Amino acid sequence: MTITGFVLRNACRNKRRLILTVLSVSISLFLLTILLTALKLMVEPPTTEQASLRIVARHRVSLANVLPEKYQYRIERMPGVEYCSKFTWFGGIYIDEASSNFAQFACDPERIFRIFPEAIVDPRQEEEFVKEKTACIVGRKVAERFGWKVGDRITLLGQLWPCDLELVVRGFYHSEGLDETLVFFHHDYFDELLGKRGIVGTFWIKVTNADVIPGLIDRIDAAFRNTDAETKTETERAFQLGFISMIGNVKLFIGSICTVIVFTMLLVTASTMSMAIRERLREISVLKALGFTGVMIFGLILAESCGLALTGGVLGCFGAKVLAETLDVYKLSKGFLPMFPVTAEILTAGMLVALGLGVISSLAPAYTSLRTSVVTGLKELD
Amino acid sequence: MAVPLKYNLRSLRVRWRTTVATTLGVALVVAVFVMVMSLDRGMRSTYINTGDERNVLVLRKGSTAESSSQVSRDEARRIRYVPGVARNAAGEPIASAEIIVLALLERVGGGSANVQVRGIGPIGRELRPSVQIVEGRMFEPGRRECIVSQKIAERFKHCRVGETFRSGKTEMHVAGIFDAKRTAYESEIWMDADECREVFKRDFYGSVLLRPVSVSAAEDIAERLHKDKTLNVKVVTETAYYREQTKSAGLFQFLASFLAVIMSIGAAFSAMNTMYAAVGARTREIGTLRVLGYRRREIYISILIESILLSLIGGVVGCVLSLPMNGLATGTMSQTTFAEVAFEFRITGELLAKGLVFALVMGVLGGLLPARLAARKPVLDALRAV
Repeated sequence: MTITGFVLRNACRNKRRLILTVLSVSISLFLLTILLTALKLMVEPPTTEQASLRIVARHRVSLANVLPEKYQYRIERMPGVEYCSKFTWFGGIYIDEASSNFAQFACDPERIFRIFPEAIVDPRQEEEFVKEKTACIVGRKVAERFGWKVGDRITLLGQLWPCDLELVVRGFYHSEGLDETLVFFHHDYFDELLGKRGIVGTFWIKVTNADVIPGLIDRIDAAFRNTDAETKTETERAFQLGFISMIGNVKLFIGSICTVIVFTMLLVTASTMSMAIRERLREISVLKALGFTGVMIFGLILAESCGLALTGGVLGCFGAKVLAETLDVYKLSKGFLPMFPVTAEILTAGMLVALGLGVISSLAPAYTSLRTSVVTGLKELD
Repeated sequence: MAVPLKYNLRSLRVRWRTTVATTLGVALVVAVFVMVMSLDRGMRSTYINTGDERNVLVLRKGSTAESSSQVSRDEARRIRYVPGVARNAAGEPIASAEIIVLALLERVGGGSANVQVRGIGPIGRELRPSVQIVEGRMFEPGRRECIVSQKIAERFKHCRVGETFRSGKTEMHVAGIFDAKRTAYESEIWMDADECREVFKRDFYGSVLLRPVSVSAAEDIAERLHKDKTLNVKVVTETAYYREQTKSAGLFQFLASFLAVIMSIGAAFSAMNTMYAAVGARTREIGTLRVLGYRRREIYISILIESILLSLIGGVVGCVLSLPMNGLATGTMSQTTFAEVAFEFRITGELLAKGLVFALVMGVLGGLLPARLAARKPVLDALRAV
């Protein structure tokens, strides 16, 4: 019999216990994987390469304050600016509140897909979109969710703004990194409904290369200093992170739940391993009598414990990944989660936790068995 | 005759190591459940505590929140003088045209968040008698002064009495701190409505809060305002408005149930493991009990009770572990207004009871199969076991 065979046989001698422990570890690791993914989405939202070339200018006081549209002409003329688009969050209600959790933006139709090249639109559809004032381009996922086709009319009731939009779907975009649940429509149409007030929520700017960003940010903010509407310009990334920081201490909250889960798992595996080894004290003494050294016995216990934890880890972590990929998370979460990427990084973290679990769980039983002298061990009945 | 409970208690003590591990596992699951649910309860009770039965709120038709509502100055004036509004000692209508704006403030300990600034009319405080100034004094209109709730003062920089915070180009002086008695106003800063419109460049109000002379007057006011074609407003009672806002708490409830269900499956498995081991180690004892005359059903129940005891101890420990969180202040961003909502973890008796029921369920689930195994053991085999 080989050593591996020996460990395997030992692990499987109480099948029920083995299955229960593995299942319990795998469920905890499944939960851990999901929480880590959620945490990552919140703390470090997915980004694309193009995002590093975008900056956002908004009102200094808060996002609820607006900027005058005439700023666009000044920003566009600054060196380093490739495109600049008005970008105003509409936040309207579609059908009812529960189905309205997708963002709608008023923008400059001819520039918006130059600024977001990662949103891929059929050029013919884009052309139609630019021509028609009430047209909109919608994300693939949100279109699937509501079954929108080209030519469909959608009505969005204004919440923040005292006007309602009547839009016609003229096309769709799909994207690898960008949220596929957005709706883009003409800023001119929005402005007309508001009675030509010439106000804009934010300006999104694409720069020619990343080196110009620090200088440009200073230049934009300096240009509007001491006006009624001072700006705060930052990179798209900083803008997103600023938004997320408002949610509060999510990191601590989810982090502490993760710690509790890991600790619970540790209790389960450690107690299983202790049970398993206590039952076998007699056999271990026999092994010792046969000349197995302490290190070898520790190795055997370690291998069994790690095998147990890692099997649970593979089931839990990869189970979460498979589930996240096969289920339509966007539809299931009723639009709350546009994407749910279980990345390789998170899987690695999960498996490392499993490994750590295996090692720590083996320590106590290993200590007990090594401390027991051969004679006492052999006297042990069961 | 039932197997004495003492038997179960003693055997739990004999296997103290596994007992402690399993109990702690259950305890942690219960603690997480109670804590997350207490967030939900805290947020809900904040909204439910807010508002006065006697007050009605006038918003723009179609708005779901004060912060997104707009009422023009002319409309606000007409609403204030609508017949049926109570008058105070000075003969003025008890009505306050208000506006909500957001100010980006720095959190103590880094980061920043939008804080809701409420501009209130001169009558605004009369409509909310429960709000008390606990430090400093009331703001004076026209002097760029404001009063800040205790919770916001604790959680944000430069919000103590005598300090000054900046919002855009304006410096605001903190004249006083108010205690809002666990209502939604705990997340707010108050200043004069007209000054607020001037500072934050709004040419409209957000809403009008008013006190009708009676309940029937409130209905008349609602009817009159809804009928008026020149006004585009809706009338709701203040309490109903805040009840509607509790939706933002739904996320915590979802999270709590999700975590609880998955974690409890794991914990039930571990309880099952422990009970199987307990039954396995006691094969001989169970045989003896059978010989002594205990029936299969009694043994079944005894083992089940042992499992329930195990998890109930865990449940109690879990509840105790979660108790220190009670009353702890926290805050998050509201999904509707994007502003900071301050609230407390609130652990109620009902939540603790739920946590215990939860532990009980885990105990039953974990004990059913091992108990069946124990009850089915043939007597002779059991006695022969070493």
